[in-house]
Amino acid sequence: MLRVGQCSGRVLRAVTTCTNIRSASQAARAPEKIEVFVDDKRVLVDPGTTVLQAAAMVGVEIPRFCYHDRLSIAGNCRMCLVEVERSPKPVAACAMPVMKGWKIKTDSDMTKKAREGVMEFLLVNHPLDCPICDQGGECDLQDQSMTFGSDRSRFTDNYFSGKRAVEDKNIGPLVKTIMTRCIHCTRCIRFASEIAGVDDLGTTGRGGDMQVGTYVEKLFKSEMSGNVIDLCPVGALTSKPYAFTARPWETRKTESIDVMDAVGSNIVVSTRSGEVMRILPRLHEDINEEWISDKTRFAYDGLKRQRLTQPMMKDESGNLAPCTWEDALLRTAVQLHGVGGEEVGAIVGGQADAEALIALKDLLNRLGSEALCTEEIFPMNGAGTDLRSNYLLNTSIAGVEEVDVLLLVGTNPRFEAPLFNARVRKSWLHNDLQVALLGAPVDLTYEYTHLGESPSVLQDLIDGKHPYSKVLADAKHPMVVVGSEALQREDGAAVHKAVSALAQKLRVTNQAEGEWRVLNVLHRVASQVAALDLGYKAGVEAIRENPPKVLFLLGADGGAVTREDLPKDCFIVYQGHHGDVGAPAADVVLPAAAYTEKTSTYVNTEGRAQQTRMAVNPPGMARDDWKVLRALSELAGLTLPYDTLDEVRGRLREVSPNLVRYGDVEDANYFKQAQELADLVEGKISASPLQPTLQELKDFFMTDSISRASQTMAKCVKAAAQEKDSKHTEY
Amino acid sequence: MASLLRNGLLRTAGIALVRPHRAAACIRNLSQETSPSATATEEKQITPFEEKVELAPLSGVPEEQLSTRKARIYVPARNAMQSGSAGTRQWKIEFNTTERWENPLMGWGSSADPLSNLAVTMSFDSKEDAMAYCDRNGWSWEVEEKREPRMQAKSYGANFSWDKKTRVSTK
Repeated sequence: MLRVGQCSGRVLRAVTTCTNIRSASQAARAPEKIEVFVDDKRVLVDPGTTVLQAAAMVGVEIPRFCYHDRLSIAGNCRMCLVEVERSPKPVAACAMPVMKGWKIKTDSDMTKKAREGVMEFLLVNHPLDCPICDQGGECDLQDQSMTFGSDRSRFTDNYFSGKRAVEDKNIGPLVKTIMTRCIHCTRCIRFASEIAGVDDLGTTGRGGDMQVGTYVEKLFKSEMSGNVIDLCPVGALTSKPYAFTARPWETRKTESIDVMDAVGSNIVVSTRSGEVMRILPRLHEDINEEWISDKTRFAYDGLKRQRLTQPMMKDESGNLAPCTWEDALLRTAVQLHGVGGEEVGAIVGGQADAEALIALKDLLNRLGSEALCTEEIFPMNGAGTDLRSNYLLNTSIAGVEEVDVLLLVGTNPRFEAPLFNARVRKSWLHNDLQVALLGAPVDLTYEYTHLGESPSVLQDLIDGKHPYSKVLADAKHPMVVVGSEALQREDGAAVHKAVSALAQKLRVTNQAEGEWRVLNVLHRVASQVAALDLGYKAGVEAIRENPPKVLFLLGADGGAVTREDLPKDCFIVYQGHHGDVGAPAADVVLPAAAYTEKTSTYVNTEGRAQQTRMAVNPPGMARDDWKVLRALSELAGLTLPYDTLDEVRGRLREVSPNLVRYGDVEDANYFKQAQELADLVEGKISASPLQPTLQELKDFFMTDSISRASQTMAKCVKAAAQEKDSKHTEY
Repeated sequence: MASLLRNGLLRTAGIALVRPHRAAACIRNLSQETSPSATATEEKQITPFEEKVELAPLSGVPEEQLSTRKARIYVPARNAMQSGSAGTRQWKIEFNTTERWENPLMGWGSSADPLSNLAVTMSFDSKEDAMAYCDRNGWSWEVEEKREPRMQAKSYGANFSWDKKTRVSTK
């Protein structure tokens, strides 16, 4: 309750300031606005606004098929025809900019007749297979033919030639095509070439022979290909894994957050009677707009396989055998009784939520241990993780749109954070963003200047000796992004030092505006920022150096520490949702909930706290992570002081208030101080090339325990690998 | 009785913090009911009626349903599969998901949660109305702000610009 009060108060303040700004800017810009009337409602718009946008401003929605807010204007479906007073013909609202004094009529007889005519032509060649079509129930064509179409048909097949039929295309394991249904809106083509940056789709033929496809049979080779399913206004492109499994009216929608990467895309989880049926994107202008990556969208079948559904303990023969919660927790508690101090340690994986992280930390701290590590390494030298600005994507994802020069260091954002990459591409396309890449030359879907593979180039850039220094020096809003993987090498600390020195130099010399932030770290896993905010040590060095007697693995499936690294008598407790890399080595396995099964907190790479929401119940006897740890603490005689989610979040707020300010980015500062501390770091940058693990499309699909358990993802890996050998692929 | 008291206390604590909304909502509602042209002074006079109407003790809802459930007040996201925006303007109340199962008789989805359909059946014109409704029923709540898409300046001519990357050579 406390939190809510504060939050809503803050939000209110934000709203009022926003309106102030808006009214001020409106007053300043007022003279250049154009006055138009939409259905006799007066609206003032900027010059160049289209009729469709002007209508949207007064809440009038003009029907459309080809037009999409985030794609270029095609103007080919003609569904948005509207009457403009004193214009002899109806105008295409999506493409026509408004003129002064226009009276637009979206509900006149002429408009209605135009829509009806367009609808009639579209339906001439559209099959009547709504009952067996996966788009049924959420189909634009279906809805609009009901609303704007004619109530009778004039279609007579005089020559018994039948309706137009088109061969289906095979474009991969994710997108199913039924091309007869296609109405040639070209949204998928525009998405592929503009947003995804792969010109795989196009049209061949013209008139009645026009076909949308890949020309030769090949894979739609994109990490964001699933978005064409959403874009398709009819059922021509549908989801292959979801085919014939559910209808939209049967499903319940839970608004949640994705944890497959560190971007924190907003999603809607569709469920039916306790099962996740599909995952769709949800609008968030500052993170994912309305796209999601294929891993986010299609890895959900991994939630139903390889799950840990009951507690397990090692029996006499050394095999993990199912047991009750009491036995598993008691055995663990007994082990905890005998140890203290650094004899107990913990490693957390990439999908641990903040509630579990704080519960585990509190438990181990009560035992006197500070050996809490994340699997992901981050240099702890210099300011390390003490200053948040050191490990966040400080410029923010939406901030990329203001950047003029972007330097990527040792990262492949296309596969590490596809939505971040899409934002960079957007900025490259529309704002002439200049991109430079230091590291392995990978296909980023946009042009970039390759500065070499060795991080030693960084020193030249700092000293101004490199030819590219000039470009960086001239930048008004520079941005430097270092991949978290580049910081996990032997010379990670030196790389971080060099990158922050460069960023700080650009910040000072370019006199970027006071608030402009240059240094950025792009993380790869969802839990990392929350873990570092809570004071976890990055990297398992502490565990390796000082092997504990009891080791907790909280969803640690990266294999950072194996049985071989630990003494024989080390007692390993694995808590997580998948029987993946971590669980087989454990003495006790505690089943926990995956991200669709719990209401929990994640912080994305920008430092934005967001909540996942429980869409279905955890399978079998699995429970929320923090509840398991709370129960264990009670048995171990160290009861943690929280019983409800709100109380855990109260504790989170005590430790790090930003973790419960949902939706907000908590900015970080102290770049100068971080830089000064980084200067103290010893060690030199090695000349070895920066090689991100995820270099090709096939590397992208399986990166965590959920996607590794997913059959769909396995098919994608196979398809991407086969595509390499295809004779139609150029390399 | 003790539970009632605790509930009341909890809720008073909550109210103290959320008062700005609640007060505004109550004043508006009351002023609308009494007279449409109520002036500011009249509004001040009727503030004593802000005294809370509690339905929770009368409704017979089990105490654990009140203390363990948290309402989420939100505006549903637009369905990404369609271009229409119907159903994305009104505020809804939703509770945490409880167990659901497939009914063995018909294969339909079943639930033991009487509140699970609240989001389907009820909608509110403003979040303040939804907050007031929750308060009256004794549910704690949190608000997720509405998200508006940003309008982008677009032109058909960009497809044909010579010197921009937005030029399309193929379709």
